[in-house]
Amino acid sequence: MDVIKTQGVTKVYNPDKIPVYALNGVDINIEQGEFTAIVGPSGSGKTTLLNIIGGLDRPSDGEVFVGGQDISQLSDNQLIDFRKEYIGFVFQAYNLIPVLTAKENVEFVMLLQKRSKEERDQRVKELMDSVGLSDKLDSRPAQLSGGQQQRVAVARALAPKPTFILADEPTANLDSKSTENLLDIMARLNKEENMTFVFSTHDQRVIDRARRVVTLVDGKISHDERRD
Amino acid sequence: MIPILAWRNLWRNPTRTLVLIGAIALGVWAGLFMTGFATGMIKSYISNAIDQIVSHIQVHHPNFSEDQDVKFRLDQPDQHAAKIAEKEEVKAVVVRTLATGMISSAKGARGIRVKGISPAEESKVTGLDQKIVEGEYLAGKRKNEILISRALAEKLKVKIRSKLVLNMQDLEGEITPAAFRVVGIFHTGNKPFDEGHVFVQRKDLNRLLTLTSEGRIDPTTLGHEIALLLHDTKNIPAIQSAMAQPDWKVENYKEISPDLELYESQMGFVSTIYLSIIMLALTFGIINTMLMAVLERIRELGMLMGIGMNKLKVFLMIMLEAIFLGAVAAPIGLALGSLTIYFLGQSGLDLSMYSDSLEMYGMSPVVYFDVPSKVYWQIPVFVACTAILAALYPAYKAIKLKPVEAIRKI
Ligand SMILES: Nc1ncnc2c1ncn2[C@@H]1O[C@H](COP(=O)(O)OP(=O)(O)OP(=O)(O)O)[C@@H](O)[C@H]1O
Ligand SMILES: [Mg+2]
Repeated sequence: MDVIKTQGVTKVYNPDKIPVYALNGVDINIEQGEFTAIVGPSGSGKTTLLNIIGGLDRPSDGEVFVGGQDISQLSDNQLIDFRKEYIGFVFQAYNLIPVLTAKENVEFVMLLQKRSKEERDQRVKELMDSVGLSDKLDSRPAQLSGGQQQRVAVARALAPKPTFILADEPTANLDSKSTENLLDIMARLNKEENMTFVFSTHDQRVIDRARRVVTLVDGKISHDERRD
Repeated sequence: MIPILAWRNLWRNPTRTLVLIGAIALGVWAGLFMTGFATGMIKSYISNAIDQIVSHIQVHHPNFSEDQDVKFRLDQPDQHAAKIAEKEEVKAVVVRTLATGMISSAKGARGIRVKGISPAEESKVTGLDQKIVEGEYLAGKRKNEILISRALAEKLKVKIRSKLVLNMQDLEGEITPAAFRVVGIFHTGNKPFDEGHVFVQRKDLNRLLTLTSEGRIDPTTLGHEIALLLHDTKNIPAIQSAMAQPDWKVENYKEISPDLELYESQMGFVSTIYLSIIMLALTFGIINTMLMAVLERIRELGMLMGIGMNKLKVFLMIMLEAIFLGAVAAPIGLALGSLTIYFLGQSGLDLSMYSDSLEMYGMSPVVYFDVPSKVYWQIPVFVACTAILAALYPAYKAIKLKPVEAIRKI
């Protein structure tokens, strides 16, 4: 089944003055377990598309179905709850809450979901092991490197077992070694947990690791390549 | 989780937080200090007025207070006074003869109220004997001794043993002159009172006033005022009604001196006024700081809402940050403030530098700080309300953020 499905998604900024078509009729279906990169030149609409799929933003036109549900019907507050339950986010930067430790950051969404302490502890341990940071549980974000912070962000996104994970240029601020490391982790989690990843990137090394590459140009899909 | 987050957020910028905590604590301290000072002043004014002048209860002829004419005398005041004095609630009783007249020396003359007193009883009711600063209290060694205040002595340029002439209306309305000799000079600390009153022996005054064309009225029965001091003010209403008589006007100190009642009622809300002003000023400080704290966290707040923290929780978090701020600051201010009040309540704040102007208003030069106990719950309530009020706008700002825009912001 399609985890994500968009139909004719259009996003217009400044509709009254000089309209900017950030997205212009995007149809995309993403299935469970995909490892998909959204690529394209700067300004092509990658961030806009991810935000709309993730329910952070609303399309000007078109429909977005996540797990079969039309999310354009949801109110702002319902959208927040929806994101909490179904979507894991990894942003380019400022992912973590600076006053919380790595462990507390990872369990934060689970706390919002009122999961039990045993469940949280177990999941945090499992994920921090998995991203190779089991010795950094009590470190604050400022005490971690950029790559380590992004790994914690991936663990945080995965913790509540979302339907899929959206990552907007997750490696943009990382050196090549950290980038490799993060991709290894994401690819492994994709395999082991069959977690769906959708990420945008400019980085050729990241594009090389993707199993599907969707290219956006001027708000439209120009290529859609599957490499299975 | 939200409280932990709020608490840690509070300490992200420790200097800023400490400055604000200091400001709130200082505000609380100042509120206590000013309340303590004002309450101490008012209490001292009231107790001075009661102790030195009005006592707790006074009895007059119903017409006396309007006219002050000697003919509005009480009927058998001494018999009644003796009976009241037997009550255990009553601490002391004095019967006075009052007259209005003119006092003159070689250097000047002034209108004056003459109080004819029984020295022993008077000292129990008003402690007049303690107020003698020169010479001695009325001893009755000779006839026509008079006590005048230092202020009046200076005005009339007289000293101990100087002779003064009193011109008063007697019971028939005739002016009776009489010579008196100054035996003592008093100083109560209440300038208007001091300048307007002199004390003589009641028996001397009665002898002068009771001489009529048809012969002398029994001088021992003339009296215009009974003044009572009780052990406890809560018995005032009971004693007041026990003393009710036809043709007697029995008044308590609030009825005699309505300003005392006004001051007493003011004591209840000085703290409210001071705290309102201080907290209003603090509100702007808190709004400013909380707004700064929200604006510099826009991206983070966007991220929090992005990953699923709902608006209610974000709102609550910002409110809690302000409430914690108050919760830390208020106890500090309260502790420092109550220590200050305690010390200045014991030792008093000496304002003798300004004692001249204080005496104008009948206050003592040393103010013993005191705060009504309700202030100790009023302050936490005020601080909490201030914090909540001041955080409303910043918290509203925070939840109005759109996650996409907030995250995009660099
Ligand atoms: N808030 C906004 N108001 C107006 N125009 C906007 C806004 N946000 C984005 N745009 C425009 O929409 C278009 C798509 O932007 P978007 O950020 O999605 O591009 P992108 O592919 O993510 O670019 P990059 O690779 O640089 O991150 C751009 O032309 C951008 O200028
Ligand atoms: Mg982008």
